[in-house]
Amino acid sequence: MKNICLWILIGSLGGTSTALAQDASKLPDRIPSSLMTFFVTSEPIGDGGNLGGLAGADAHCEKLAAAVGAGGKMWRAYLSTQARPGQPAVNARDRIGKGPWYSAKERVPDYLNRRLSRPMVMSEIHGDTLDEARRGSNMQKEFALTEKGEIVNGIDDPLPTRHDILTGSQLDGRAFTDAADHTCNNWTSNSAGSGSAQVGHSDRIGNGNQSWNSSHGTTGCSQRDLVAWGGVGLFYCFAVNER
Amino acid sequence: MKTALVLFAALALSGLAPPGALAQYGLPGGTPMTFFVTSEPIGNGGNLGGLAGADAHCQKLAQVVGAGNRTWRAYLSTQARPGQPAVNARDRIGRGPWYNFEGVMIARDLAHLHGDTLELARLGNNLTKRTGLTEKGQIVPGLNDYQVPRDSDWEYTKTTPYTNRHEMLTGSQLDGRAYPPGTDYTCSNWTSNADPAPGQAQLGQEGGPNRPNAQIGFPDRNGGGNGSWNSSHGTTGCSQTALNRTHGVGMFYCFATN
Repeated sequence: MKNICLWILIGSLGGTSTALAQDASKLPDRIPSSLMTFFVTSEPIGDGGNLGGLAGADAHCEKLAAAVGAGGKMWRAYLSTQARPGQPAVNARDRIGKGPWYSAKERVPDYLNRRLSRPMVMSEIHGDTLDEARRGSNMQKEFALTEKGEIVNGIDDPLPTRHDILTGSQLDGRAFTDAADHTCNNWTSNSAGSGSAQVGHSDRIGNGNQSWNSSHGTTGCSQRDLVAWGGVGLFYCFAVNER
Repeated sequence: MKTALVLFAALALSGLAPPGALAQYGLPGGTPMTFFVTSEPIGNGGNLGGLAGADAHCQKLAQVVGAGNRTWRAYLSTQARPGQPAVNARDRIGRGPWYNFEGVMIARDLAHLHGDTLELARLGNNLTKRTGLTEKGQIVPGLNDYQVPRDSDWEYTKTTPYTNRHEMLTGSQLDGRAYPPGTDYTCSNWTSNADPAPGQAQLGQEGGPNRPNAQIGFPDRNGGGNGSWNSSHGTTGCSQTALNRTHGVGMFYCFATN
């Protein structure tokens, strides 16, 4: 009986943890938007895998950033496109500058009340060495925030789940080289039931792995198809140059 | 499958799941539990009574929930001493696969658990906050869960079971192996509850000669700037108070070898 009580206590507390985390983002440990160089789009474009190509996705990043006072930084969507005849592949990791990048919540006080910086580092988020891949990075639910500083709902959060983040990329951040579609036809297709978009999970949970950028593919490219898999068509935005 | 998981999570979190399903280890008809996080520490800082003492703690906790019929091993390394070779945590825990309280697989095998290839390491294993459960099926309180202001104060923590306590003692490197001798990463092979001399504390960084220290990892994969489950950073000392300063209480992982 004691066990059950503890379970329910932890369960009910767990249910409120997201609310607490979101409240925390309103505390003054948020950095000014002008210093933000990384975010997850708070809203999708809304047309499934059709983002209007890379240009359309980049414009969406820029628009959302500008709305919170962080525009004009050469925002790039973290998306790959696959090679086509006469058109080379584009690797997401090659589009986003060198970093390091900081999300809307850069600093959290640690146990000594120091305000540690939690940067996203190119080699760490991609696990370029075995040690880096094993150790992990700051690309975690708590830091993969929207441009408004809000947590992206994931597993265990209130539905709908929005943690599937479009990338079209392999684990190393590069485009797929096989013939299958991993990018909803280079982000121009909203076709129901055909095509696929490779996604990662902003909360690092799902599909039996913890990849933020290459966890699984969707079946189909319509908005409805994306939702069926646990996402709405959000993507990551990185600033190429800091101001 | 995914829907089932989400459903179960929703049920469990809302407290609506049938109590019968929660009162036993593993789901009914599911896979027996072969992995858990200790629900409580031994309580004497980094002094666990050596590997034998830590293993006995695993066995005792497992026994209480009816899982004592397996051989339990603490996921801990010890460093080489004169006449005494190092022990690697990864060599102690059998070959897997390992399943948690809910019957969810943590890792297929040692390579999956430790990310032995670049691809495995990038993908990660299946040890997350929601799968890193205690032998009673509890989620381990982590960063930003309950925001208890005094959660690094042992005097407060010891009577408050929901403070952030997500640091698991491992004494291990990222690959699950022991550190070379010299710098202490194992609270003197899990026999010491001593703290560094004043001014020598490591502030969560690695230890040094004569600086008692334990390497730790996070079941919730959030902390230390990396979220490593088995080798994120060191502690500020080996006393219970020092372990708690960085948000641990001296808990560790237990794996069944058979």
